[in-house]
Amino acid sequence: MSNKYIMQVEKLNIHHGDLQAIHDVSMNFERGAVISIIGANGAGKSTLLNALVGLHKPTSGKITFCDENITGMLTSKITSKGLSMTPEGSGIFEDMTIMENLLLGSYLPEAKKVRNEQLKLVFELFPVLKEKEKQLATFLSGGQRQMLAIARAIMAKPKMIICDEISLGLAPVIIKDIYRILKMINETGVTLVIVEQEVKRSLKYSDYAYVLVKGRVVMEGPSQELPETEVSNAYFGIDKYN
Amino acid sequence: MKTLLENKTNTVKVGVVIIALALLVTLPNWGTRGMIPIFTLIMIYIAFGQMWNLLSGYTGLVSLGQHAFIGLGGYALAVSSERFGLPLYVGFIMAAIVSFLFALIISVPIFKIKGVYFTICTWVVAHSLGLFLSTLAFVNYAIGINIRATFRLPTSTIYYVALGVAIVSVLAVYLLLRSRFGLGLMAMRDDEDAAEARGVALYKTKLKCFLISSVIMGVAGAAMFMNLGFILPASAFGIDWTISMVIIVIVGGKGTIEGPIIGAVILVMLRQWLFDFPGYSMLILGAIAIILILVAPKGIMGLVHRFTGAEFFSVRRRPKRITEPK
Amino acid sequence: MNVIIQAIVTGLLLGGLYALVGVGMSMIFGVMKLTNLAHGDFMILSSFIIVVFLQHVTNNMFVALILTIIVMLFFGTIVQKFLINRVIDKGADSPLLVMFGLSVIIQNALFLIFGPNAQIINTELMRTNIVSTQMLSVSALHLVNFLVAVAIIVALTVIMNKSSLGRAIRASSSNIKAAELMGINTKRMYIYAMGLTIIVTCVAGLLVGSTFMYFNFTGTQYLIIAFGVVVIGGMGSLMGTLIGGMILGLSQLLGATFFGTPYQTLSGFLVLLIILSIRPQGLFSKAIRK
Repeated sequence: MSNKYIMQVEKLNIHHGDLQAIHDVSMNFERGAVISIIGANGAGKSTLLNALVGLHKPTSGKITFCDENITGMLTSKITSKGLSMTPEGSGIFEDMTIMENLLLGSYLPEAKKVRNEQLKLVFELFPVLKEKEKQLATFLSGGQRQMLAIARAIMAKPKMIICDEISLGLAPVIIKDIYRILKMINETGVTLVIVEQEVKRSLKYSDYAYVLVKGRVVMEGPSQELPETEVSNAYFGIDKYN
Repeated sequence: MKTLLENKTNTVKVGVVIIALALLVTLPNWGTRGMIPIFTLIMIYIAFGQMWNLLSGYTGLVSLGQHAFIGLGGYALAVSSERFGLPLYVGFIMAAIVSFLFALIISVPIFKIKGVYFTICTWVVAHSLGLFLSTLAFVNYAIGINIRATFRLPTSTIYYVALGVAIVSVLAVYLLLRSRFGLGLMAMRDDEDAAEARGVALYKTKLKCFLISSVIMGVAGAAMFMNLGFILPASAFGIDWTISMVIIVIVGGKGTIEGPIIGAVILVMLRQWLFDFPGYSMLILGAIAIILILVAPKGIMGLVHRFTGAEFFSVRRRPKRITEPK
Repeated sequence: MNVIIQAIVTGLLLGGLYALVGVGMSMIFGVMKLTNLAHGDFMILSSFIIVVFLQHVTNNMFVALILTIIVMLFFGTIVQKFLINRVIDKGADSPLLVMFGLSVIIQNALFLIFGPNAQIINTELMRTNIVSTQMLSVSALHLVNFLVAVAIIVALTVIMNKSSLGRAIRASSSNIKAAELMGINTKRMYIYAMGLTIIVTCVAGLLVGSTFMYFNFTGTQYLIIAFGVVVIGGMGSLMGTLIGGMILGLSQLLGATFFGTPYQTLSGFLVLLIILSIRPQGLFSKAIRK
């Protein structure tokens, strides 16, 4: 454990066809921290995340996870190294039951070994999922979907979880609840990367934050030290960054 | 400068089309005897290809049952000539009418069906038509009918009919796509929802294309069976016709006017060349089609376009570019 | 009356066989949203291969079937890996037309290798009647076809619903991105799904090939039958195919009884077209979500 960073991104460039979506992005995620990536729609957040988990091939740059170069690796391989992600819009398996969704979370051989203990943990964190175990996921409410997505992600006992737009379209009460549970997960030693559009909430719940505008990191620092107004300005493109 | 260049290439294009047409029209005067039947086939297959392309390449209606209209056209010709003793040209009119009516009727249920269901359903309709005609005494069951009136026809007459059908099919697609209607059509193919939102009446547009395609397909089918002189349900409603159309369009280039022309020439020539080895030509064409879908989904025309930028029958109306003087 | 009972019994039994023909197509559609236009040809290809093994390698039908499955699995893997997987995410038309091209190739290759002659797989069962009374006669072959078909469809349903592999395959068809994030290699799942389909299709090839005559172009007929079964039953619903098969079998046999044998196949298709024009998404299909 020589490296204090669990994931390092160096000079990442990503293209969508001819369009460049990510420009020279470098990031360092500290082990055990909560990191937030803030950006508006179209800032390139999703593209960046997809590249981190191997769903999109970067044009150039390097991604290291747990001291191993994972650039261009297959998603299934990266997942087996202990990186989970809850996709935007939860991405649950709609036509399968809650239980089946959870079991798929521990699909890989390494994860199967810890299936029972993780299942217990999941049901402790989300009692509502236990109640609805046999129901089809498609009948869940918005908040419950996100819970299922998070639960499914921790089934594999990952070292790090990336949560893409986890609060989108949810009621404030539910968002608060979800963040409370995320905090509990983080306290067990899991590094969290939270991707948000909401500036205030992002800064409040994270240790370190990156602001992404038009595919570039325009601001970064410990969350408590970043002035909210300036982040908002950058985010809305009012500033020199435009 | 650029517009001048474009005008120049346009003149060249028009010239090439005129020369090609002149050569085709005078073919019986300068061609060898063996060439006429081959060119007859090429012309009919061009019409088949154009009409399938109109549906799948421009309208997004991938039908594998368009051979229904080839069969209907053929039978319309055969029945009106053999059973009613009408002259052949009336047979062609009948082919158009029967195809039109059948397309109109079948469109009601079949347009409700979407995607692959539509694709295979059209096939089932065509197949069922063949089965149905096999049960009718009126058309001599599955045994078939000789179209005796065609036996005395000189090959050049058949050739001119085929040439006419081919020209009509190319012109129909060209004019259709150059019209306002064509713009809506292409918008619809690219994005159905967006086109609908912009007021392109989907159903009507699709139906129009389906009707045009079916009528010309039926007439081309009549020409094909005038050329063959004999018709039976298994050949009239066989999937082979559609296989040929699909291969012609894929090999030549989907969504282009030149594509089916090139595809038809290749298909007929290859079959002719491998005439003594039945099975091989289709095997090779099938393989070529698959390889093209994998590496060049726009077919030969797509390749030509990519490397030379040439486009013969441009249906796109390019915005006038403002060229900056250097 | 006897005639009608006979038609119903034969129709239902035949329907079981049709269901087995269709279930592979339904599976492929359910998993990768691909309509395998070469499905019928896959089946007839396996019928041809079984005969080759029976003539040159073994007298045992079961061994011949296993050998055929091995050969066909190899073939299916190549097709899936190098053809389908390469076009599956490039719109709906490309994969469809690739399979159409493959169908043309298989039919003509069969013609070049085996010629145009009709074939049949010889079995003892063909000449045996299980029930033979004045009222009803049931051939052993038809009954075996039906029982095997039901057994295989049930087995396939269990594998898909209860096993880890089945779950992973379903996850791949439900949400590709999420499945990848679970560590599932979705394209490999497609290969496994094709493998399962191939096994089922080989069994169908054996049963169909020993029940009816076939030749190089016969695949097309069975594609249309498979399509009928799958559309009536609902694409992707495995148990639905069983019902679809029986409806198709019944309509064919009843059609033949009432209107005469030439109308057998036609009446099956007419019922299919009528059902489709009333319910364009099939009788039992779940609404397809995007």
